[in-house]
Amino acid sequence: MIVRGIVVGLLLVAAVVLQTALFPALTLFGFRPDLLLLLTVVIATRDGELAGVRVGAVAGLMTDLLVASSPVGLGVFVYGVAGALVGWSRPYFAPTSLTAPLVLAAAGSVLGTAAYGVLASLLADERVGASLVLQGAIAVGLYNTLLAPAAGALVRRISEAFPLRGAGTE
Amino acid sequence: MFQRRRVRLLLALLVAVAIALVTVDFRSGDDSGLDRLRGVATSVLRPIQDGVGVLIRPFGDAAGAVGDLFAVRSENRELRARVEVLEERRRVLDDLERENAELRDLLAIADRTELPTVTARVVALAPSNFEWTITIDVGAADGVERGMPVIDGDGLVGRIIQVTPNASRVLLAIDPSFSAAARTALTGEVGMIDGRGGDPMALRLLDPAAVVDVGDAIVTASYQGGVFPAGIPIGTVSQVTEGTSPLAREVQVNPYVDFTRLHHVVVVFTTGVDDIPPFEGTEGFEFRRPPVPPLLDPGPTDGDEEGEEEADEAGDEQDDGSGSGSDEDDDAQASAPLRGVVVTGP
Repeated sequence: MIVRGIVVGLLLVAAVVLQTALFPALTLFGFRPDLLLLLTVVIATRDGELAGVRVGAVAGLMTDLLVASSPVGLGVFVYGVAGALVGWSRPYFAPTSLTAPLVLAAAGSVLGTAAYGVLASLLADERVGASLVLQGAIAVGLYNTLLAPAAGALVRRISEAFPLRGAGTE
Repeated sequence: MFQRRRVRLLLALLVAVAIALVTVDFRSGDDSGLDRLRGVATSVLRPIQDGVGVLIRPFGDAAGAVGDLFAVRSENRELRARVEVLEERRRVLDDLERENAELRDLLAIADRTELPTVTARVVALAPSNFEWTITIDVGAADGVERGMPVIDGDGLVGRIIQVTPNASRVLLAIDPSFSAAARTALTGEVGMIDGRGGDPMALRLLDPAAVVDVGDAIVTASYQGGVFPAGIPIGTVSQVTEGTSPLAREVQVNPYVDFTRLHHVVVVFTTGVDDIPPFEGTEGFEFRRPPVPPLLDPGPTDGDEEGEEEADEAGDEQDDGSGSGSDEDDDAQASAPLRGVVVTGP
């Protein structure tokens, strides 16, 4: 369990580094993928809502500490709730479905990004307009959906090597 | 059942912690514990981002360049047309340069490049898609302070918003929360320029009737209390629209700087324009009420000459330094025509 936590933590750090150092040069319509949100959604899809909430809270805190204009706690809230919602919706999809992870990745990314943008606009910077939030949500949703198969394969290997034990697991 | 309750409990705890953090962050100032925690996170991640960035950035740039190839053909056509225009302008440039040098000598204006600067490398961008910031590899140890302007070879990049010992965070000029005083280089029309994220920047002109054309260059304007030196290039006007109201008018500005390809920037060591000091020797001067004629009693229409004589007498008494507080003098001043504010020494 501890080893799994460390591995997932390192995965989140790697995601932050890629997101801030590599993907600025690979934007889609001027937007970058949100790898931390993608990992939250993918882990919640595979391991359930408890893992989704935990990973989402840590990923959100990392986002909060690396941005300057949004208040600390906003990412914790949005990413944590996104992990919980995706985890809760998982039983409603067929376990062997190939499209379900993609649909969840797209929906989780679009809704998570839109919620973060709207709350950031309300709490921190009112000049982040509705059109910008909409553009960002769609672009991030598209980008994250493209990266979802790779992220899913990575998380599957980690989950197989370090399986989650105890309550909240399959 | 137990699992679901546990998740709900954890989620409720998460929401409570998030709300508490947001509240604490809002109520605390710039140097709060959470702000220091952000600084620590930036400092810790900076070497990792720096090292990884050096390794993987070339791949990212190469992949990005593939996308740029599609735009190269049309850009080439556009550039050829621009070269012809620039060739014409170059012929008059030598004369303008000489004139410019002479005027600089005459006015003894310090060239803005004489300001102390430090060159920095861009190590990371913000992880959020709704915040346009970069992390650079110079910090307080290099003399960087919050609020300092950041430029590159093309023009204005942004300003420093967070400083740690070995790194700093720069708010880019395209961030929606960025704002700076600006003017048109050609006509000097002033206004405020704001970032708009991925969209072109917006220049809000103070004069809604100002004449601004597409292609006009926009530069920073300095003002008392501002942080940017005057004359830093910002961009060119890309679209001019008619004002929606008689008091407001916006034009769109395409920035010179390519914010997706920032590698090296320069931090300008200036803390803005100082407040204007008071004139020397003006301490102790008192303000005296000017001789304003009464509003309801304009005085006899055929006796204006008498009134002027009285006022002159009163003025003579003031010049002599006597009779500054008597009722008679006040009456004389009140009936005298307005001649401006009188300031006398102690």
